[in-house]
Amino acid sequence: MQTFLTLLISGLVIGGIYGLIALGYSLIYRASGLMSFAQGDMVTLGAYLGIFYYVWLGLPILVALVLTFITAFLFGMALERGVIRTLLKKNVIPIYIVLATIAVSYIIQNLAQAVFGSTTQWFPQVFPVANLTLFGVTNQTEAYASFVISIILMIALHLFMTKTKFGTAMRGSAMDPLAAESCGINTSLSTGITWGLAASIASLAGMMLGPMYGVFTTLGSTIGRKGFAGAVVGGYGNMYGAMIGGLLLGLAETFVAGYIDGTYKNQIAYIILIVFLFVKPTGIFNEKAIQDV
Amino acid sequence: MAKLLELIDFHYYYGNIHSVKGINLSVDEGEIVTLIGANGAGKTTTMQSISGLTARRGVVGKILFQGKEIQKYNGYKVATLGIAQSLEGRHVFSQLTVEENLMMGAYLRKDSKHIKDDLKNVYDRFPRLLERRTQMAGTLSGGEQQMLAMGRALMSRPKLLLLDEPSLGLAPLITQEIFVAVRDINKEGTTILFVEQNSKIALNTASRGYVMQTGEIVMSDTSENLLSNEEVKKAYLGG
Repeated sequence: MQTFLTLLISGLVIGGIYGLIALGYSLIYRASGLMSFAQGDMVTLGAYLGIFYYVWLGLPILVALVLTFITAFLFGMALERGVIRTLLKKNVIPIYIVLATIAVSYIIQNLAQAVFGSTTQWFPQVFPVANLTLFGVTNQTEAYASFVISIILMIALHLFMTKTKFGTAMRGSAMDPLAAESCGINTSLSTGITWGLAASIASLAGMMLGPMYGVFTTLGSTIGRKGFAGAVVGGYGNMYGAMIGGLLLGLAETFVAGYIDGTYKNQIAYIILIVFLFVKPTGIFNEKAIQDV
Repeated sequence: MAKLLELIDFHYYYGNIHSVKGINLSVDEGEIVTLIGANGAGKTTTMQSISGLTARRGVVGKILFQGKEIQKYNGYKVATLGIAQSLEGRHVFSQLTVEENLMMGAYLRKDSKHIKDDLKNVYDRFPRLLERRTQMAGTLSGGEQQMLAMGRALMSRPKLLLLDEPSLGLAPLITQEIFVAVRDINKEGTTILFVEQNSKIALNTASRGYVMQTGEIVMSDTSENLLSNEEVKKAYLGG
């Protein structure tokens, strides 16, 4: 029972992170019909921004969190405005735009290395108490905080997208840009904001990973891919699917590592991904995955 | 009567394809005017260009709204002037509820109290939308979606309402119902320009009409005269 609880909690912690990253992939897919390889690097960006604001500048953790969110938001918007939209305007076919995001991904990784160096940096302890025991399970305090923040972010995003006029307009412009524009919605601004949100959510995931995993330049590309798998399993493009898919993968890999063998930990997400693509490509939330013929 | 909308030597180019070839068209305040013609005549291009929904680089000539040039405006900016369009193919937000769709029509408005009144007016006009207000718009029938598209356009309290093919794909009975609403909306004071494949019902609804053929306006007259015109009868009214 103790083992089960320990694994459950670790699974939810990392699953929450995957869920946040998956959300970004899904938002971008909905808004632009694209997959951004740079999405994982927004995690890395967030982790380093966290170090920059919290360690280098010595700002309080909440201020650092908000500044990381804002900086990443602006970065995501700039990526959409500067790279993605420029290519879309030139009528470049989507696969090449996806390739451009790979280029951006490597540029971010190498820039991070140039600025912060290639050694893993440790994000210092944030809370006065290092460890917390809940239900008899002892864990890093930051791990619990990370799960709580993940859930809060998911609920906040859900409320923003469904209960506010602007969130509904963002969903509307993703569904039917022509109709949205005729209603007076600035669809290109809405797309930019979507990319900004995707980046800022991932950046917070990165900042939360820091104290648990350390910060290194490929942090985001490894974990980002699992977030991507989570988005597909949930139903690519579906917000709720992304959250559930991410949590599910986090739990699956933690339980497999705990009960079966740790060597499979990093493969299980991709095995589940392939199985889903074979058996249920529409994901848990039944998103369109098969081309009309 | 003051001219609300005026197109002066308006052309539209899709790359090298010259799809609208210099048309002149105007709609007075309070009028109801139709634009008829065969498929591919450039009617939808014209309508979407007025609303700023076509690529702006393709526009040559002038579009005036209340005397002001708007041919360079983007879609969302045209909407702020008080031009709303029910698009060809309806374009409802399929995964938003009926009511969310209607509220998107009022996106630019800040007067929440009057928005409530207008929502009620739309439901009074189309009671079927009230029955389905919490349903996803994608689950509605074609006729209901058309009512929703028109209702959404009305929610902005437009000065000019553009309707593109309101009867497309609808059964005759529903078409009648839609056009009763179109007449009512105009009688209540909204200026309307509409495109319609069914020329007979179009000319029976509008007070004036323009006939468009391969990118040009070939005739323009009162509906009465167009209905009795031999060429129009032969080409568009089935003999």
